[in-house]
Amino acid sequence: MIRRYWKFLVPAVLILGVIVVLLINLSSNLVYFRTPTELHQDVTASNQRLRLGGQVVAGTVTRDGATLFLTVTDGRESLDVVHTGVVPQLFDEGQGVIVEGTWDGSIFHSDMMLIRHDEQYRTEDNQIYDDVKHELAQP
Amino acid sequence: MIAAIGLLAILLSAAASVLLIGRAWRQATAPQPDPGRIRGPVQLLLGGAVIAFLALETAILSDNFSLGYVSSNSSTTTPLIFKLAGAWAALEGSIVLWGLVLAVVVYLVARSVRGADRLGLTALSVLGVISLFWFALMATAANPFEVCTKLVGGVCGDTSWLPFVHTVAPVDGVGANPLLQNSILMAIHPPMLYVGYVTFTAPFAFAIAALIRGEQGSVWLERTRRWSVVAWAFLGFGMLLGAWWSYEVLGWGGYWGWDPVENAALLPFLAATAFIHSAVVQRKRGMLQSWNLILVITTFSLTILGTFLTRSGTIISVHSFTQSEVGPILLGFLLVTVLASLALFAMRSHLLGSAPRLDSIASREGVFLLNNLILTVFALAVLMGTIYPIVLEALGRARVSVSAPYYNRILLPTAFLLLMAMGVGPVTPYRLARAGVVWRRIATPIVVGLVAGAVAVTVGVRSIPVVVVVVLGIFVIATIVGEFRRQLSKVEGRRLDRVLRLLRRDSGYWGGQITHTGIALIAIAIAASSGMAARGQVQLVTGESAVVDGYCLVYETSTTRTEPNRQVIGAVLSLRDESCGNEIAILQPVFNSYVRGAVGTPAVHTGLFDDVFVALGGVPGDQVALNVMVFPLMWLLWTGGLIAVAGGMWAIYARKPQRRRVEATVDV
Repeated sequence: MIRRYWKFLVPAVLILGVIVVLLINLSSNLVYFRTPTELHQDVTASNQRLRLGGQVVAGTVTRDGATLFLTVTDGRESLDVVHTGVVPQLFDEGQGVIVEGTWDGSIFHSDMMLIRHDEQYRTEDNQIYDDVKHELAQP
Repeated sequence: MIAAIGLLAILLSAAASVLLIGRAWRQATAPQPDPGRIRGPVQLLLGGAVIAFLALETAILSDNFSLGYVSSNSSTTTPLIFKLAGAWAALEGSIVLWGLVLAVVVYLVARSVRGADRLGLTALSVLGVISLFWFALMATAANPFEVCTKLVGGVCGDTSWLPFVHTVAPVDGVGANPLLQNSILMAIHPPMLYVGYVTFTAPFAFAIAALIRGEQGSVWLERTRRWSVVAWAFLGFGMLLGAWWSYEVLGWGGYWGWDPVENAALLPFLAATAFIHSAVVQRKRGMLQSWNLILVITTFSLTILGTFLTRSGTIISVHSFTQSEVGPILLGFLLVTVLASLALFAMRSHLLGSAPRLDSIASREGVFLLNNLILTVFALAVLMGTIYPIVLEALGRARVSVSAPYYNRILLPTAFLLLMAMGVGPVTPYRLARAGVVWRRIATPIVVGLVAGAVAVTVGVRSIPVVVVVVLGIFVIATIVGEFRRQLSKVEGRRLDRVLRLLRRDSGYWGGQITHTGIALIAIAIAASSGMAARGQVQLVTGESAVVDGYCLVYETSTTRTEPNRQVIGAVLSLRDESCGNEIAILQPVFNSYVRGAVGTPAVHTGLFDDVFVALGGVPGDQVALNVMVFPLMWLLWTGGLIAVAGGMWAIYARKPQRRRVEATVDV
């Protein structure tokens, strides 16, 4: 009888153990997605890596060697970004971008940039995809 | 007209599926089964699928923009080849191709069913259920033959599924997806994955049939061995092409990003790999019967999950999932598949025969078990990383993404363990392996591996994981070569003749070893290219030069040219040696502007030791911003991939003719 229990208990405990280890690893590697509006509401600097999504404001892009300065907006608030690293081929003003890095309370320091294609980044009525609206509508 | 033909063909296939389910089931349970009765529905099913596919191709090639699908995926200026590929470039069309491949699978399975083959007939009934789902989906939520009924600003604004209503046609379509138009790979890579996904339906159908009939033994496994390996090979080849496309065309400077779309293909591939290995244990030793059924169900479910992830828009945002009609349907199909299969398994698994016990963990079976354990845990990790953000967002908690370190941290120990198992396993005897026997076969390869590691260190490799992978990878290859020579000495005949005879005698084993060789090379290439890559961003004015990681780049000029379907803006760069002296190559990274958007194409110079990869970081003019990357040993990745796929092909097709005949009689 005890033997039969062991037969199921040992694998079950092992599987649970593996899942717990994976979850711990997962939670330490999650990157939260934020909009400029959300970051303006929370101006505490942090070392936690974040993703910031928005549209590149026309006329704000300047370069200094390998460093790129730009401003992104979600239509309500805008945020200055300093980017060092690979610049995607399709990077352009007015384009939807996602940058990944840290937020020091006033400037977003990014080292990874992704381009979102327009049809994916906008809602059907051609509005910029905006998480803020969604989250405000919830409570 | 063409819309009506297409829709009727789809409905014909759907009706044939219903007929197939009923007839195959009746024959499977009849006192004297007559497989001739299923021939009609199978032919109708295939015929309908072929006509539907041809109707879609005809509509695209004849610029029939009254079809919503054609007007949004093609135009008069789209080159012929991309028009042809347009038939599967978007959701609706890809499901038509899916249906065609599935119909071919059903046809081939039906051809192998002769006499009182109740298992095969039951499997055909299961296949009928699956094909009914796909053709019903094609006729409803993913109908490519919807006609345009209203124009809004010159493009199709509203569509109807009724083919006979008053239709309007835009003057021209918007053209193919720019990513598709930019490289022919984008036309080949998805169908390869579809073939991989769809062919796995056959092993699944046979497994379910065996469960329904409560059949013990390995008949279903024997009969679907080829299907599993074909599915595995196509999935692998599809991923290889995808990686190559990502590297050579997308230009973000990599070939694998742990993107959910990539994981969607990797997951069934991992499960199929585990299945192919554990199937060997069942065929040779009769063990793992339940586990193999679980793996087949898992693999098939993961192919549906992959389709759901890539085709419902869930990855872009959970909110687009609710907007797509296909998403909820695919999710429902996935849940029904998983629940129904597991319920059936729970009801029937007591009928499976009691397996012989494992004699010793130190045996070939033991290493196979280890392989399955590693692959399963790895697949679980990838699955969790892929769906966790989706679940979190669906619960309205937060939008998150899982960063690459999550996967890489798991990949590293997984790769080490798998490479070790790959080196030791194939030379370990079944049942009980004495340490001395195994040691004799791996001692020299271990030395060879260590020497290779030492060479890597002396040529300047300083990354410990890279060195470890080189040692293990070369150890694997050396073991295979050693085992090959050991067995070759027992074969008589002339040199080349002997080699071929040995490779064909046990084509399953040697095909596997060829694949292992490819995987070992891939492991080395991945370690080198990810652990030792150099990246730099430079900005150059005309005539200026910059040095990145031992290469000099000179910006010569910018170019512009206009083609019928696109405008190409590029930079002309001269790649030279470190002292900016001798020219090695001319590199021309470009931007391509299409009606539907722009796509960049990097320029890659492939060398024996490393690749120089240059992508534009902005529109070139008097000055140009460049992303320059140097990746070591990239050619080894593609070569290793091709060798791995070739090994799979060898395992299936290089069997002796007389053995095939024996198998045919087993089928009856």
